[in-house]
Formats: sequence, C-alpha cells, structure tokens
Amino acid sequence: MSNENITEPVVNDNLSADALDGFEPAATPDTAAASALDFDDDPLSATGVSRKSLVIFFLIDTSGSMKGKKMGELNTVMEELIPEIRRVGEADTEVKVAVLTFSTEVRWMYSTPIAIEDFEWARLRASGVTSMGAAFKELSARMSRNSYLNSPSLSFAPVIFLMTDGYPSDDYREGLKELQSNSWYKFGLKAALGIGEEANDDVLAEFTGSKDTVVHAYSGSQLAQMIKIIAVTSAQIGSKSMTLSDDTGHEIGEEDVFSAKQKLLGQQIQELVSNQVEDTDVPFDTGW
Amino acid sequence: MVELEIGQEVEMEYGGSAKVLSVIGSGGQGTVYLVRFNGMKWALKWYDIDKMKKPKVFRKNLQTNINDGPPSNKFLWPKYLTKETADGTFGYIMDLKPDGFDSFVDILNTYKLEIDPLTGHAVKRPVKFASLNAMVTAVINIVNAFRQLHRSGKSYQDLNDGGFFINVNTGAVLVCDCDNIAPDGSNFGIGGKPGYMAPEVVRGVAQPNVQTDKYSLAVVLFKLLFRGDPMEGEKVVRDVCLTESSELKHYGQNAVFVYDPNDASNRPVRGIHDNVIKFWRIYPDYIKEAFIRSFTTGISEPTKRIIENEWQKLFIRLRSEIIMCGCGRTNFSSMFVQPNEKTFKCPKCGMEFASLGFSDRKYRMPLYLGCRFYECEISPDSDDFTKIAGELVENKLKPGMLGIKNCSERNWKAKMPDGAFYDIAPGKGFPIWQGLEIDFGEIKAQI
Repeated sequence: MSNENITEPVVNDNLSADALDGFEPAATPDTAAASALDFDDDPLSATGVSRKSLVIFFLIDTSGSMKGKKMGELNTVMEELIPEIRRVGEADTEVKVAVLTFSTEVRWMYSTPIAIEDFEWARLRASGVTSMGAAFKELSARMSRNSYLNSPSLSFAPVIFLMTDGYPSDDYREGLKELQSNSWYKFGLKAALGIGEEANDDVLAEFTGSKDTVVHAYSGSQLAQMIKIIAVTSAQIGSKSMTLSDDTGHEIGEEDVFSAKQKLLGQQIQELVSNQVEDTDVPFDTGW
Repeated sequence: MVELEIGQEVEMEYGGSAKVLSVIGSGGQGTVYLVRFNGMKWALKWYDIDKMKKPKVFRKNLQTNINDGPPSNKFLWPKYLTKETADGTFGYIMDLKPDGFDSFVDILNTYKLEIDPLTGHAVKRPVKFASLNAMVTAVINIVNAFRQLHRSGKSYQDLNDGGFFINVNTGAVLVCDCDNIAPDGSNFGIGGKPGYMAPEVVRGVAQPNVQTDKYSLAVVLFKLLFRGDPMEGEKVVRDVCLTESSELKHYGQNAVFVYDPNDASNRPVRGIHDNVIKFWRIYPDYIKEAFIRSFTTGISEPTKRIIENEWQKLFIRLRSEIIMCGCGRTNFSSMFVQPNEKTFKCPKCGMEFASLGFSDRKYRMPLYLGCRFYECEISPDSDDFTKIAGELVENKLKPGMLGIKNCSERNWKAKMPDGAFYDIAPGKGFPIWQGLEIDFGEIKAQI
C-alpha cells in the first residue's frame, strides 16, 4: 500500500465558493507550519483527535434599566454558569465563549472567544440605552471565518443567546436584517431571554426565529433558572451531532434534518421552563 | 422529568431502598447518581421517561438483561431495577466504575480535565497508554467484548466513545451504558451518535442491530488506533460548519473513507488530521486493509463488514508483531528493516531480532527480551488471549543467556543443539539458538 497518497495542506486553497455552502473561507493557514510534520513514528505518541469547535455567543443588554439588582443577579448567575457549561464541553467538542454587551455602545468582554476551561467572567455594569441593532451588526461582522469563527477544523453552528430587559432604542430590524444574511446565524442555535415587564417577546422571537426559544423571567430567582436552562440546554445540543430523528419509516432527507437542532432546543426549553415551579405556586409549608 | 434530590430514598423493586448521595453525570436518557444500597455504593441511572418512546417495553428489556446477566466481566451491567414511581419513572443500579479506568473520550483527547474543588479551575492531566502492548490489548478486549455480546444474541445499539472505560496501564476494558442492549432485531428507540452510527442508520433506513454494531465497532477501533474520524477528511472540512444536513451527507448519504483507494476526494488534511496521516504510515497493511474493507464495501453492504472474530485474530497478530528494541524504540515489526525473511533490524540502532515461525500461520513473531505469546497462539482450540503461555527471559543463573520460559500448564518439547527433543515442563525453559524447534502439541514453531 502506498503511503504517499497524503493530501498536502489544502484546507482552503482549492475551495470553490459554492462548496462552502455560504460560509466564507478562513484566512490562509500557515503553510510552513503545516508541512513541517516531522515523521515521528512512535505509535503511542498522538495528539488529541481533532475536535469540533462550538462558540457560544452571549448578547447581553447592559443598558441603564439593567442597573442594580438585575445586573447583580445576572453577573452572579453567569459566574456560576461557566463551570456548568465546562462539563458539557468536556467531551469531544471544544467550547468557547464570547460575550457581547450592548448599551449606548457595543463591547466585547474579551477581544476573542475564550476556551471554556480558561474563561473567567468579568462583572458587567449597566448604563445607557439599548442599541440592539448595533449589537446585531457587530455580531454579524464577527461571525466570520476571518474573525471569531476561525477554527481550522470543523465547527458546529454557534449558539447565540440574547438577554435583554427593554425595547431596542435603535433600529434593530436593520441590524437583524444584516445578521440574517449571515450563514452562521442561519444555522446557529438561537435563544432569547426577556427580563422583566418591558422586554418585548415578539422582538426576541424575530431574533430567534421562533417563539419556542424565547422565555421570560419576571423575578430574580427566575432569571437565574432561565439563564441556566437556556445556556446549558443550548450548549448541550449545540456541542453534539444531530440526534437521529427515529422511526421516520422512510429515508431521511435534508428537509427532515433542516434546523432539527433549533427545533429540539425549542422543545427542550419549553419542557424545562414548564417544569419550573412558579414562586406563587409553592405552598406555604414547603421550601423550608 | 422527575429529578432525584440528594438524600432522597429510592425504593428498589425487590425491597430496600437506595439513598441518593450525589450526581455523577447526565446523559441523553437520564441522570446517573451515586447511591448507597445495602451498605454499598452503587451508580443509579434514573430515566427521563418523557424522552422515551416506550418506557414499559424498555423496562421489560432491562429486566430481561438483568436476569440474563452480563456476557462477561467486561460489562458494567444493570444489577437491580427500582420500583416504578406512580408516573412510571424508574431506574436501575449498577456497580461503580472501578478506579484506574479512563474514559475513551479522555484517551482520544489525550488528557482529562480535573476541576480543582477550591478554585473551580480546570487542570489538564495527560491520559496515554503506558505501552503499545497495553493499547493493542485494549483493542483486543473491546473486540472480544462485542464478540461475547453478539454471541449472546444481543446488540449494543448505540456504540460510541462514551461507552467504554479503559485501563491505560493494562489494556483492561469496561463496557458501560449497557441499558440499550437488546436482542438482535429489537430496538427501543435509541439511534446512536453520528460518526459512530452506521450510514444506513443515519439515513433512517435501518434500525440499530448486530450489523450496525459492527460498523460502529470499526469506527471505535479506527479512532483508537488512528486517532481521528474515518470519514472526516477534505470533503467534510470544506463544509466548514457541520450543520445537520452536512452530517447527514458525510456520515449517511455520501460517506467516503479518508483512505478509500478508489476515491481520493476525502483524504485527511495536514494540520487537522495529522494523527491519521501519521498512523496510516505506521500500521501494517493487513490492518489498513481491514479498515478499507469496513469503510468502503462495508458502507453499502452490511454483511461484508468485518466480524469480531476476524478483528480479534488481526489484533492478536498485531500484538505478536510488536518489537521493543533495546534502544527504547517500540514499534510493529513492519516498521523494522527486514534484512532477510527471518530477521528484523532496528532502523535506529541497528540491533537485530530473530523471529519464531509457527506452523499454523505465515507471519513470524519477533523475539526480544520480554516478548510473550499467549495460550490462543499455541493451542488451536483456545480463545484465551490473556493467559501468557511463554515469555522470552534471561536465565537468572546464567546472565546474558536468553531463553523461552514455559508459562503454560502443559509440557512442551524443544530441540536442543544436540539434535534431540527434550521435555520442557511448566515453569522450565530452554535457550534460544539458530536451529531451535518447539513442539507445543498441535502447533509447532521454529526459529
């Protein structure tokens, strides 16, 4: 058997535009490093299997209305959440986190997505207005192989989790339109959390594409529960391969699997949310 | 779903109750808890029956499996069922994973994450086979476990990287997640994990069975030896984003093996699949050919897939072809120079190794200090690949003199330089020399 039929570095050189299915190619890889594979013939020395990567984007409203208790609760629950997502990422997917905050201005917590093992939550502060449209535009610009989604190997579609407590103060539709033309967004898992009375679930559903993946938190304890439900569920579904749609009784086609994960996310979020006990439902004699 | 609380007592089917101590982990079908039952610690798997299609049938199958018992001690088998709760929720308890075993996922990642309980920071600890012998032994053990399972008329159904624990020092294997095991031909709703599922299951045209297990087994073996995905090459990487439809395409409708000799469209890509490229140069042809068959004709013709017994023979051969050279280089004999048919030479230090030819096979076993052969290699009726039959050792009283020690329980005959055959009793040995012949009974060997 010939050992010479090894493909030379070709990650992106000969890719035709349509083969990318709408995803732009990454920057040219470092060919010098790629060809320097020295033949080490030790059968026991191996590098880790190439893992698929998943970036979880958190879009967090840090406008003035979030100030005080809400922001404090959000910071605390996010700190607690990171180790929980870490457990999800322990398997065969490399999970990274990127946090985009939007108020009067749009800012990334860190300038690049950080591996979940190394991620540390930097506490956020709230002030200003709700520039959601600008956040959508910024996200769209970064969700590119030349920017935040530059893993050389395969990626799962990203998870995008939007949290807001108010109505956008800018033209969110224009930003959303731009985002919707981004393939990563199209195939991504989208979920949103409305916080308090002011948040508009219809706007959030426009962002996620369906009402199933929008939930609402009215109280502090709900906020913590909902953030965890959405983040953990979407990280779980996002970091795994599609699960078989069993017993279709016929050969599965592309239409059967299209956005299967997004649908599953909607189902699971709804199921988990409905299982949560409302504060008011708790009888006086329990919970002690 | 009914989650259990720490401290809660779960009633067992045949009396007594298990007390929930902590959460071990959760998976697609439910959550696993650490429990105390009858004064001992166990793992309790508690199902989310809302996610099950037929919980009653599933429970009945589990009961049957418990009654049948495990096919061998390589399985972390369900032990006792819990009583069904009012809404039909149930679980089962099983032994805890013993210490010293690492998950297959950690082996593939080459490290495991340990969370520092104080800071919550994750620390990476390397996970690697201690020796080539341990690795090939692990492979033989995996194959053998599935051979035992299939011989008992059952199929595993969702074979994937989460289903095994391996002792990287000895090659011992534990098959866990045994709750979906079902008689061949039945399926209780589990599909499997893409990448491990047979293409016909991914496409939705077949349900998991013994034939699809064979495909998944080949994937597991490939991943363990070649440290990469057999179907992930240039064609797949080009998609950049692994959407549901690209998974359906690359693992179902149009799965192409990375080293398909007749289709070069999906070759491994340097910089991403370096492991596969490297190991494809290391493993001998008979191993590579078995994978080529599994992932080319085996894709469309399930009956042509390699059966466990065949894999077992191939890997027993592979183990016997390991050479541990004095210079520290350990590799398969195919990676050594062969100055003549019977000699292997280390390309690094030049040391030469004689070899032993057996009467029932064409390939030769290289001889080096510490090399062993096993019961199944000297007796045609034996399937025992763990019991050492003979070992090349240095004579304790005559330093520098190498010989073979009879570690078996039977008498052998060995030819000495005077031309006569002498009886070699168990525990005894004889020196190796150019004209050595050994008579094991039905099988004979000579240098």
